[in-house]
Amino acid sequence: MSNLFYILFRRLRSPLIVLIMVYAVSILGFVLIPGVDDQGQPWKMSFFHAFYFVSFMATTIGFGEIPYAFTDAQRYWALITMYATVVAWLYGIGMLLGVFQDRVFRQQMQKSSFLRRVKSIREPFYIICGYGDTGSQLTHSLSQENILSVVIDPDEERINDLEADDFKMPPLSLCADGSQSEVLEMAGIKHPWCKGIVTLANEDSVNLTVAIVAQLLNPDLRLIARAETPEAEANILSFGANEVINPFETFSSRLALALRSPSLFCLYDWMTGVSGQKICEPPEAKQGMWIICGFGRFGRSLYEHLDDEGVPLRVIEPNRKVRDLPSGSVIGRPTEANTLTKSGIKDAVGIIAGTDVDANNLSILMTAEELNPDVFRVARQNEEKNTHLFQAADLDMLMQRGNVISNTIFAFIRTPMLGDFLRIVSRFNNDKANELVSRIVGVVDDEIPELWELTVNENETPALYKMIETQQVLVEDILYGEQLNKGDAKNECIAALPLFLRRGEGNVLLPEYNRIIRENDRFLMCGTYSARQHMMRLVKNINLLESVLLGEELPAGWLLRKFRQRNPPENKNG
Amino acid sequence: MNSEKVIFAFFIVLALTLNFGFFLGGMDNASHHNIYELYAAIVVSLISTVLKVGDRSHLGAVFLATSIVADFQLIAAAIVWGMTEHIAGQTLGGDALSTVVSLSGGALLANIISVVLLVSETISVRR
Repeated sequence: MSNLFYILFRRLRSPLIVLIMVYAVSILGFVLIPGVDDQGQPWKMSFFHAFYFVSFMATTIGFGEIPYAFTDAQRYWALITMYATVVAWLYGIGMLLGVFQDRVFRQQMQKSSFLRRVKSIREPFYIICGYGDTGSQLTHSLSQENILSVVIDPDEERINDLEADDFKMPPLSLCADGSQSEVLEMAGIKHPWCKGIVTLANEDSVNLTVAIVAQLLNPDLRLIARAETPEAEANILSFGANEVINPFETFSSRLALALRSPSLFCLYDWMTGVSGQKICEPPEAKQGMWIICGFGRFGRSLYEHLDDEGVPLRVIEPNRKVRDLPSGSVIGRPTEANTLTKSGIKDAVGIIAGTDVDANNLSILMTAEELNPDVFRVARQNEEKNTHLFQAADLDMLMQRGNVISNTIFAFIRTPMLGDFLRIVSRFNNDKANELVSRIVGVVDDEIPELWELTVNENETPALYKMIETQQVLVEDILYGEQLNKGDAKNECIAALPLFLRRGEGNVLLPEYNRIIRENDRFLMCGTYSARQHMMRLVKNINLLESVLLGEELPAGWLLRKFRQRNPPENKNG
Repeated sequence: MNSEKVIFAFFIVLALTLNFGFFLGGMDNASHHNIYELYAAIVVSLISTVLKVGDRSHLGAVFLATSIVADFQLIAAAIVWGMTEHIAGQTLGGDALSTVVSLSGGALLANIISVVLLVSETISVRR
């Protein structure tokens, strides 16, 4: 803050001096030049009167020649000083406005205001380094869930875009380089309410630097980084307890999953996807040869994963010099029809256009469709702005680089237990996965399923916490399925399913209905939006909970409750 | 010969000398204290305050503080003078005069400290 004042005053020095001197000379002049009073007697202006007159002359108010009309000599002087003082004021004000418009000054103002706002944060927040496609999507998703984020990006244009964007919960932003430790400190990396830092720069080296700095400044802070090369991924994973998302790896493993076990793929897709989407239909991918166009990072990763699944593959790559090209690869431009024909597009079951140019990818797939209309088409979308084109192309599967990363990260932030759940589920075979999916669909029916976490403790679920002290509460009472409201209320059916329970170190998948709820249990729930709202109300409001569990309405006030406790009526059932 | 330093020192010393000149003389004799000198002292004091702003060192901070103190005292003296002459309608004398002179004396002290600091800074730089 003091920086700002110093900059301001430095610039204002000469205008202030000019103003003081002009005032001084004018006032002195008026004091020295003799005037006449209304009787014609000579009269000298005192300093006080002179100061008064010059003040309202300089500020262009102009009350008049007071207290007596001026002599001509005085008027001469007034003429000169009038122009001088007004110009001096304009100079000063102009300089002041110039300072406020100055870039350096504005940057300083933005920095101090940012610092102040970060300091006053009193809710959990995440720091996001990098506001490209991925960063902006992640910020939007977090903002929808009412999670505050602090965004840092060195590109001024992107920060301007952020300010122009609409957010449910507007993020704080700063245009600065996130790989510098003082910037991260300003952003609140040591803040007690900071829940994690996500680094999403386009360059792996920048992400690595941010990870290192974050590790040094706050080793306990959760770090999620994006890395596109295996070396950077291994590097970042080697220190601290970081999580790295490699979009190519993620997508390739998903695609392999889609081939191996379509229900599992659907599950993954839904759980790490954007909220508000139904579970998709499992993709119908037949067994057969797949063609991979482009052997960059994406192509390599695809090859590796699909090869592990035993899928016959053929690679098309225009650059002969690419290393480790698998045998049988076709050298040529995949956008051309003859290259595709040469690679056997007519017999292929699927084709993946994985180059880093969107236009090429679209062109490849359009050509492929002409040659083989049944082929399963997968494309990689690089830039957010081409979304309409890719939608119009009506592809079977689309990899949106930004989306994959931001959705995965968002899912991990919103429901930290999801990672463990997915790890366990990934070992399911297709039948088990089918069963799980059908159970979920059975619970939510036609509505859009949601995922949320429920921790049974005093802060988050005060009513439930109190309840389990006095009596046994089973999973089926609160968390699942049919729930009869005894008494005169209607049957409530909670459309929810507990997917996963963590109790201490132990994990239970799909906990049974008659399991007793204990304190500090963490449940991963899935269900409809209304079920979620109802459940949250239930576990927080003791009256509601009691009326549901015990079937009677206990009095709400403290006094009457104490009275009731002393003379308890017969308890109906738990 | 750094012209900026010359101007800086000039105004500081001028503020002190004008202030001293005004202060000098009996507290009960109005003719010893010239109003033009008070006026000049105020103007020069304001200018030297503006010159002192912007220095972030410890010395600069103390400089600025003394200058602001001197400004306050001199302006207070001017206000008292103005009020006696215009609002109360008396010529300056007795209580009011001694108030004006004491206030200017206070400003003088602040200016002395300022000049002492200036001198010590100059000497240390020379070394």
